[in-house]
Amino acid sequence: MISQPNGKYTEKPCLPFIALSVKLTIILLTTLVLQVNAESYGRQLSINQKNISVATLLQIIKKQSDYHFLYDNLQVKEMVIRNVSVNNASVEDVLKESFKGLPLSYKIVRKTIVVKQLSETAVTISPSSDQPALQTETVSGLVTDANGAPLQKVSIVEKGTMNGTTTDAGGSFSITVQDKKSILVFSYVGYEGQEITVGNQSYIKVALVPAADALSDIVVVGYGKQKKSDLTGSISSLKGDDVTDLGTQRVDQALQGKASGVLVMNTDGAPGGNTTIRVRGMNSVLGGNNALVVIDGLQGGSLNNINPNDIESIEILKDASATAIYGSQGANGVILITTKLGRRGKPTITYDGFYGMQKILKTLPIMSGLDFAKTVNANKQSQNGNGFTPPPVFTDRQLDSIAALGFGVNWQDVIYRSAPLQNHALSIAGGTENTKYMVSGGYLDQKGIMVNSFYKRFTVRANLQTDITDWASFSVNWSAAKEQGNAPSFGSSGDVAFNQKPANSAPRWDPLQPIYNPDGSYHQHDPGYGAYDVWNPLASAVEPKIDNNTITNSLFASLDFKILKGLTLRISGGGSIGDVDNSTFSNLKTGQGLGANGQGIITRMLWRYYQNSNILTYDRYFGKHHLTLTGVQEQSSNYSKYERLTAENYATDITGNNNLGGAKRIVVYNSNSFRQLQSYMGRINYSFDDKYLLTASIRGDGSSVFGANNKWGYFPSFSLAWNVVNENFLKDQNIVSNLKLRYSWGITGNQAIQPYQTFATIGSGANYPYNGTDQTDLGYYVASPANPNLKWENTQQNNYGIDLGFFNNRLNITADYYTKHTRDLLMYRSLPNYTGYSNLIDNVGSMENKGIELMINGDILDKELKWNSGFTISSNKNKVLSLGEYERIPFYTSNGGYGIGDVDKPLMYLIAGHSMGEMVGYKFLGIWSTKEQAEAAKYGQLPGDEKFFDANGDGKINVDDIVVIGNAMPKYIFGWNNRFSYKGFDLNLLIQGSQGNDLFNIPRVRMEASYEGTSARLLERWTVDNQNTDVPAITDDLTRQAANLTSQVNIGFDNRSSRWVEDASYVRLQNVTLGYTLPAELIRRIHFKTIRVYVSATNLYTWTKYSGYTPEVSSYNENDASIGVDFSSYPQSRIVNVGLNLSF
Amino acid sequence: MYKKIIYILIISVTFFSCKKLAETPLSFVEPTSFYQTKAQIEAAYAAAMNSVWSGWSGYQYPGIQYFNHDDQIGGGNLVIPNNFSADLWRRHYEAILNLNSAIAAMKSGNLGTSVDATTYDQLLGQALFLRGWNYFCLVRLWGDLPLVLDDTEDAIANPPSRTPVKDVYTAIIADLTTAVANLPAKWNDGSITKPTRDAAKGMLAKVYLTMATAPLNETDNYAKAAGLAKEVIDANTYTLIHDIDKVFTLDTRYGPEVMFTFTANYADGTMSPQVWTPPVLNGWGDFSVQPQWAEAYPETPRKDAYVLHTLNGVKYTNWPGTSTPYIKKYMYDTPEDYAAYRSVVTLPILRLADVYLIFAEADNMANGAPTQAAIDAVNKIIDRANGYAANANHPLATIGMSRDAFDALVIEERNQELCFETGDRWYDLCRKRILGEKTIEFYRQNFTDDDYLYPIPDNDIRLNQNLNQNKGYSMP
Repeated sequence: MISQPNGKYTEKPCLPFIALSVKLTIILLTTLVLQVNAESYGRQLSINQKNISVATLLQIIKKQSDYHFLYDNLQVKEMVIRNVSVNNASVEDVLKESFKGLPLSYKIVRKTIVVKQLSETAVTISPSSDQPALQTETVSGLVTDANGAPLQKVSIVEKGTMNGTTTDAGGSFSITVQDKKSILVFSYVGYEGQEITVGNQSYIKVALVPAADALSDIVVVGYGKQKKSDLTGSISSLKGDDVTDLGTQRVDQALQGKASGVLVMNTDGAPGGNTTIRVRGMNSVLGGNNALVVIDGLQGGSLNNINPNDIESIEILKDASATAIYGSQGANGVILITTKLGRRGKPTITYDGFYGMQKILKTLPIMSGLDFAKTVNANKQSQNGNGFTPPPVFTDRQLDSIAALGFGVNWQDVIYRSAPLQNHALSIAGGTENTKYMVSGGYLDQKGIMVNSFYKRFTVRANLQTDITDWASFSVNWSAAKEQGNAPSFGSSGDVAFNQKPANSAPRWDPLQPIYNPDGSYHQHDPGYGAYDVWNPLASAVEPKIDNNTITNSLFASLDFKILKGLTLRISGGGSIGDVDNSTFSNLKTGQGLGANGQGIITRMLWRYYQNSNILTYDRYFGKHHLTLTGVQEQSSNYSKYERLTAENYATDITGNNNLGGAKRIVVYNSNSFRQLQSYMGRINYSFDDKYLLTASIRGDGSSVFGANNKWGYFPSFSLAWNVVNENFLKDQNIVSNLKLRYSWGITGNQAIQPYQTFATIGSGANYPYNGTDQTDLGYYVASPANPNLKWENTQQNNYGIDLGFFNNRLNITADYYTKHTRDLLMYRSLPNYTGYSNLIDNVGSMENKGIELMINGDILDKELKWNSGFTISSNKNKVLSLGEYERIPFYTSNGGYGIGDVDKPLMYLIAGHSMGEMVGYKFLGIWSTKEQAEAAKYGQLPGDEKFFDANGDGKINVDDIVVIGNAMPKYIFGWNNRFSYKGFDLNLLIQGSQGNDLFNIPRVRMEASYEGTSARLLERWTVDNQNTDVPAITDDLTRQAANLTSQVNIGFDNRSSRWVEDASYVRLQNVTLGYTLPAELIRRIHFKTIRVYVSATNLYTWTKYSGYTPEVSSYNENDASIGVDFSSYPQSRIVNVGLNLSF
Repeated sequence: MYKKIIYILIISVTFFSCKKLAETPLSFVEPTSFYQTKAQIEAAYAAAMNSVWSGWSGYQYPGIQYFNHDDQIGGGNLVIPNNFSADLWRRHYEAILNLNSAIAAMKSGNLGTSVDATTYDQLLGQALFLRGWNYFCLVRLWGDLPLVLDDTEDAIANPPSRTPVKDVYTAIIADLTTAVANLPAKWNDGSITKPTRDAAKGMLAKVYLTMATAPLNETDNYAKAAGLAKEVIDANTYTLIHDIDKVFTLDTRYGPEVMFTFTANYADGTMSPQVWTPPVLNGWGDFSVQPQWAEAYPETPRKDAYVLHTLNGVKYTNWPGTSTPYIKKYMYDTPEDYAAYRSVVTLPILRLADVYLIFAEADNMANGAPTQAAIDAVNKIIDRANGYAANANHPLATIGMSRDAFDALVIEERNQELCFETGDRWYDLCRKRILGEKTIEFYRQNFTDDDYLYPIPDNDIRLNQNLNQNKGYSMP
């Protein structure tokens, strides 16, 4: 145990990366100068070589002389020298001879030779008199993209030779080739290569089309990049377009249905609200299952506050081969985001904006005022047990006037509205010879469909990359986001009781209640019937003054050094700082505020995350062998600070949180924590002949949050892949264009233990007025026993994959099968309560996830009408293997007032041998019919009463009859994305869905309760004439007494009934976007590159049996073991946007 | 070139040798560095009371849910399920952990010279009083207990067996006896509610009285109970409130009649008062009174003070939205507080009326017949209940009653006077073994002797093989 005085952490953080970078640069430059000044002596040279590269030549010269070389441009090294034949020549002569016909010049400064590339436009290659047979034809031309915009730096090589050049800034090129039969190969990253036979042309115009062949794509992997064809692991890759095509303002939501193995749940519909993303199931109960988000190398990012237009690509690392490189943070998958950088050339200005409207998807059907009043009366008059029938709540006269009133107030219409949103993104991207940049700004302004809710987001990003010398470059990424939001409390979270949350209260307040009293104050429910304990829903919605602000700022800089051929070092460092400042004031018009005589809650959170990563990469081809070695040394730390202030009992409502001095009572809670991680990692990628690929890696993580006995953890992985398509036996066919088999194995960890959980602690805050005065006395309690053995969870994963491509990769199929086995699961191990403790966090359980993922993508049509269709389907099967000493562990979803999830009525369970997300309760079998009267009587029930499954057959329904009644985990999820284009038109259509998951619909419990409910379903209640229903009858007490039955249904106020469990499978038309791009020729005249207009509809239609607002919600997000409970979350909306993309 | 690499590597190593991964807590302390001052020790007591009060307040307020099988509170039907009241068990043991930690620290000299001997004794006395009372609650509800004291070996590493009731009481008596010796008659440090010597004596009297009845039936303890109760009455530190309708008010919740109580203030308020008020008063009506019990309660001013059975002349049977009476004892919030859903109403744990009745019961049983002193004691309570007027519904006790008749009268008086108070009625029903007879007829068929003890919580049995379950309940 460590017990040192506080403040030790305030030592200078050990991440002086900026200072370091400066020093390194100085040292490198010094080294360089030393070399330049190195003493040397002249010598006559003899060289006889053909077709060698400039680099090779200079190497030879260097060996024979003592000259050193500097290049101003690395590309010149690869230029080919046809023939050098000199004897006893001076260096100058050799160079003169060799550089003949090449766009190169040189300058000799003492003993250093600086080789320079001539200005490209000035290149004219004249046939050399020495080699008349070789260079006979000169061809020039222009290379553009599909829209006619010139492309620069396109590589042009004469096929079969080393002869080549590149295009200039205007896209022009000129090359001298051997003869008319020569073939020119045009290639450019991200574009389809093209081959053109020179023939009689002297001017060749080429339009390159963007590469459809994804295999040549470069994929970002952990701490590096790889060609897609070299991948051995399982990675889902998305381009920025995949996100922006949807016209959405959120990156996380754009992932839905687009990447296999990735489950995205929009658990609430609030603007700026929550999304749960799970990669390949859920491994952890307590540790959290959020994937690690890495943005341009900086770990711990958030998907919420990133501008979708900034994104170049998103890679989701799924198997252990891909994620083990992140060691103790990799178990839940890793999402790598790369943001855009400009290209060389004049700046491109891009604008993308849309304006839209949101509308609630549906409202819950409720009774009219008259129906409600009649139901209240029926229920009231059933309370005649003492022989006296109570008078009806509403007299016949009142019923008449209610009938005249019409429907009454539909409170859902009172608190929900149509709400606009707009999003604007502007960026400038470009580059010069040595520098590339991208600067962007984004603004989102979204009103929520619930009154008094909105979300605004400002984002700024600046990316810069510059070559300092030919062996050093520098890049920096800065991004900042300011978010401001407001939403009345909803779901299960927060400080407000459920009956004061408008999402819960609005549908169950009866339509007879007026909104306001005649004096203009909010009406409160009439007592004695209905949901009279509920606060006025409109007051609950609009009166709280909520102001939530989050500012995040991230800066990450890298220095890249090319040390030797193939050996590069990247020193990078940076950090992010976040500041959350939330304030809520509840005035006397709110239930919350009245109880406390005005209540203000201010929450502040601050975090400082620093990261320093040093990556050494060695990448070389040795004949057919390709070897990449990566070594990483990394450290990070996170300091976080939380403050919460509750102020109550104000003399005035007016100043609220702006004058805390006006509050009589202020309670402050704060906590600070610090954690750090030190890591070493090594990786080897080896491939032979592009056929046999191997990756192996190991990472060691030392984390401060682990127990004293387990500070370091090691995470190995390896993977193998076989590019079968490159084997000779598949050479002579043109059907299969890609065939790769992959296998990987590895161990990853989840270090989401909170700091200090290994300590025995004394907690504060158990205050109590022990002395009986108005001043509360501080209470310090024994909070937890020590556990020095606490360690990370570890997940062992196997992955079997196959990649298939047909017809020149017009059709691609990727399939993966994986098994994940998580051990040392972090869980609260219960302690006997007589110890005074409830539990101890410990590594007790194990869990398994198995799944298959299939991705099919094809260009079904590729003529004038293009149709690209992509389908993903993933299925994950979770199984809790062991819970330590337990068979089952309940998860409380504290929820007084509904008879669900109280301490003694947990709804969700982890059960060994079952899947996560299991719900338990009484199995509801329907309503006893008159035919079943005799059987019902055995349970003391009458026809019209609820019928429950008597699991143990003892003739009684009680806690012993509790069985599994549902499961929240989907059996499979799928997405089907279609892109059509025809001339200037494009159409995007995304369908996605989830099948086989259940949702527990809590609000129905009270909405369908006969004593207060408003649900229209109550009109379908059981009667002798309407027996085919699942809504019980209202049976009066006298009838019951006359039947003289003793009820054997002893479940009390326990509503864990399968009656409320619904199938939440759904299929959703997630997005339809129709766009039109104006013809390039037309707009070029007005100096635009592109103009596209589009209409986009999100959440257009959902096919589901679920009766709540939306089948996707989950009100208990704090723990995955309790997902699948709908408790009045913020409903989702349908969004229709009209948008515009411009670039010039 | 190679020089370059070497430089870089040297620099890397120099710069990146980081500090150790040891953790130093920022926002909490460890037990080893706490319990060093009087204030820290008392902070442990506040936390202990916070735990127990958490168990008794909230929707349990005033512990009604735990005791709804008595004949006073509506709802219980004597089918006591496994795990019933597990939360109360947990809360009491939480309190005991905090008390044991403080006691152990004090005994090991943590306080050093920071306090004088008297202060030390008083601090220790408070902890022992609280621990004794916690075990007294536990032993009455669950019988044999895992007995964890300050000098018990680590209860996590060494799972204990259940200590027999008799030995638990030995520990309780030891704690309370020391508390009596150590605690002051009155606190002069501004505290109104810390336990006093007489509170400890009163509690000890109640312990002896309970030991004299079931399950131990050690009848020689009656005399000890009577003696201690008499000492408390005679000391006159606490006095009975004259008017029955003033017994439960905001002004009298901490005295002069109340001797030990849960506490509340606006910063640490209790559950919204609506939990136990009827819908007709805009309440939620979570807890109601068993109508049969209310019907049997004699019509006295006390009934009007303690039971809400009539409102503006309208009997509960005719109220809209409900058909049961409610508990009035704790409905003394101000109208403003009530309207604002806040409450500082507390729940007494021991008050002088109880001590009078303890005396009456114990003295009668010790002597084989009611003495005049016993009769006077019970009549003090009866007379006040009747508003100091003769009431045929509720006559005074008279000399010449038999031992058993007088005993029954006292128990019934406890039933009426101490109704809804921290489970007092339930304890009486159990120690007098009259649950089967007193429960309403409707539930009687469900009664068995096993109902006198609650089930040991599933959790603890599951985790400790050495614990056995009480009769009538299943192993988890």
